[in-house]
Amino acid sequence: MNQEDAVNRAIEDVVDLHRNRFTLLKEAKKPKIGWVTIYTPEEILLAAGVIPFRLTGEVGLNSTEPSAILGNNYCSYVLSCLGEGLAGVYDFADGIIFADACDMRKRLWEAWAREIPSNKSYFLEFPNDASDISKEYFASQLRKLIKILEREYECEITGEALRQSIKVCNESRTLMQRLFKNKKGERLALSGPESIQVVKAASTGMKESFNTKISALIDVLETAEQPPARDRHRVMICGSYFDHSEIIETIEGAGADFVCGDISNGVKYFEGNIDLNSDPVTAIADYYLEKNTSAYRLDTDVRVEHLLDLVEEYQVDSVIYYALKFCDTNLHDFPYVKEKLKEEKIPVLFIEGERNTTNFGGTKTRIQTFLEARMF
Amino acid sequence: MLQETIGQERQIQYQNLLNLVGDQRQDTDEDKPLLKASQMRSIINSHRMMQAYREGSRVAYVSEQFPSEIAFAFDMIPWNLESMAIMLAQSVDVDRVFKLTQEHQLSRDICSFLRGPYGMMMENCYPTPDFVLTNTQPCEGLSKVGLISGKGYKAPVLALHAPNSIDEDSLSYLVKQMEHMMSRMEEDLGIEVGPDSLKSVVEYSNQAREYYNKTVQLLRSNSLPDVSRELQEIFGMNYFGVKENARICKVLYEEAMQLAGKETSKRKRVLWIGQVPEESHEILQHMREVVDIVYWAPLWDANMMMLDEKDPLKSIAERAILYHWDAERTKVETSQICEDHEIDGFLIANVWGCRNVMGISQVLRDIANSKKLKHLTISIDLVDRNNYAFNQVKNRVDAFLELLQ
Repeated sequence: MNQEDAVNRAIEDVVDLHRNRFTLLKEAKKPKIGWVTIYTPEEILLAAGVIPFRLTGEVGLNSTEPSAILGNNYCSYVLSCLGEGLAGVYDFADGIIFADACDMRKRLWEAWAREIPSNKSYFLEFPNDASDISKEYFASQLRKLIKILEREYECEITGEALRQSIKVCNESRTLMQRLFKNKKGERLALSGPESIQVVKAASTGMKESFNTKISALIDVLETAEQPPARDRHRVMICGSYFDHSEIIETIEGAGADFVCGDISNGVKYFEGNIDLNSDPVTAIADYYLEKNTSAYRLDTDVRVEHLLDLVEEYQVDSVIYYALKFCDTNLHDFPYVKEKLKEEKIPVLFIEGERNTTNFGGTKTRIQTFLEARMF
Repeated sequence: MLQETIGQERQIQYQNLLNLVGDQRQDTDEDKPLLKASQMRSIINSHRMMQAYREGSRVAYVSEQFPSEIAFAFDMIPWNLESMAIMLAQSVDVDRVFKLTQEHQLSRDICSFLRGPYGMMMENCYPTPDFVLTNTQPCEGLSKVGLISGKGYKAPVLALHAPNSIDEDSLSYLVKQMEHMMSRMEEDLGIEVGPDSLKSVVEYSNQAREYYNKTVQLLRSNSLPDVSRELQEIFGMNYFGVKENARICKVLYEEAMQLAGKETSKRKRVLWIGQVPEESHEILQHMREVVDIVYWAPLWDANMMMLDEKDPLKSIAERAILYHWDAERTKVETSQICEDHEIDGFLIANVWGCRNVMGISQVLRDIANSKKLKHLTISIDLVDRNNYAFNQVKNRVDAFLELLQ
């Protein structure tokens, strides 16, 4: 097998975790619990012997029934997740955890509890700031969740079990941080669409398997002959739930690189690590509240500062702000974020879309025009 | 910002407001006598607005169900960001304001009750605030508008996050947030607000609430549509904590008592669910010809809650959580409202962009179905006329009214 084949094979191995997730999850002899926001503490679920997997809304293509329940002008990620639930896609799961990451996801929890009673549903309070008061409260909510899981699965979630699961998740995050350094002047290890697929693989809950596969991928990449360096226009995507290979392919097709996704299928998922030397529940609570730089966080300046740090770290030239239609928090933030980026002379293109877009022509033209004007 | 500069700015802002919603106010067809309580509220509202534009006044932008007792304990004028948007709906110049928000890249998919205040701030019509006090009710969008306004005016933004569940952890979390908020306000203002200030505010709040609750009781078995409307206005004004509001509530109760004694022919009762248009709105006028409208929001349990005068913050915290439209709680509460008020049908007003009404509509329709009540969900926009056409909605409303008869 030549080097290129070996790299491709290693990438496919990781991505297969996502691609085959339903089969793998069904086969796994462990309880499974789904989640809808990256601020769900997977570590606690893992410590309870549960596989925590993400609902992606990828196969929830029929929006008629969910729209009748929640409304037509609703976030399409939320509608797609509900569509999947109604179609029985998650019948193999014990339940779903809905952390309070926006009003519409709260309504999704309520609709799920009502319409899909076969799946247990649990609502996790999640403060929208990272004050000491909020951290203390969130830790109390995590302790409550631990008790529920202990009761449900007749187990004891010990400090040691939590530390062990933190270790596993920290390893996943560290490996992804290593893979996605995306330094300027270097050829990117993965294409944009591949990078999204890898993060999605990380969120299927099969952490140990993911760690083994991604380690193997990093080994192959590090031993392979480095492709020639190139210096291309560097693009970041930020905003709502994002999973559009067409958009990334358009960026790359225009001659630019997608270097950083400040999104839940990007760095937002794997940045930082949980302190292993503190009380595990407190450390988990602190980590998730501090890591929250999404539009749900009330103070948009925290988000902007984080965004500008990433712009510097990844030496970003342009930003694409992607908002799902009707994603209120991201729509509210946009004028302010745009203004702040403008002050830093960073061009930004606003794109509105749906979870499962079919008509992509107009968006493609806008991206091409935006990039061409800056690259040539 | 220097008080003198704020005072100058507020003079300009007051003139801007008059230009936008004073001279430019739309004519209305309705001309009916007001309840005394309504007249009093109108005067107090005007006085409050005048005060807010004066130099030296302390103004706090607040969100819709923010515990105004906190603002009053600091002798601040609470400026309800969302309710003020309804003034904009009455201006013929409303399009210009929305155009401005669009030019500023604010999406038209956002609720017009939020785009409205945003635009009015861009038009420099609102008085410069000393503080922005927000909470997560009724929606996160309103908190965001509060936050952005604070940044725009360089005013401190102090926010409350109200959880969904009612338990000791959540109550204590909210109490701590309020204590922190108040100590921060004391620090910034350089004053000390002792427990007595909050105590007297809470006493006024409870006095008003006592009459408010008694009026709601009268509403149950009597046809008092104007009283129902006035309760909606009092709820929207959210002025609990001052003497004047206690007086309005007392007068309203006394008027309701008098009106309750009068014989009227029994008409069908429709529960108006969702945001409420200004009183002279064409849909309301049209419906009032045939049915009595009972407004949903003023009847929520949270509005009936008396505060614990010995431990006010804890009861304010409980009320704050109750204000969330939690599906399960809403189901129980709305079912009870239907029984207490002998409701015949629901009209669910789905304002474009209000995800919470939209998200809970199915629960409400289920209640109606289980009680064999007629229901209609209409998509409207009460502020931005670009999103709404009366004739289309009228056909549906007419069919609904026919079904009711």
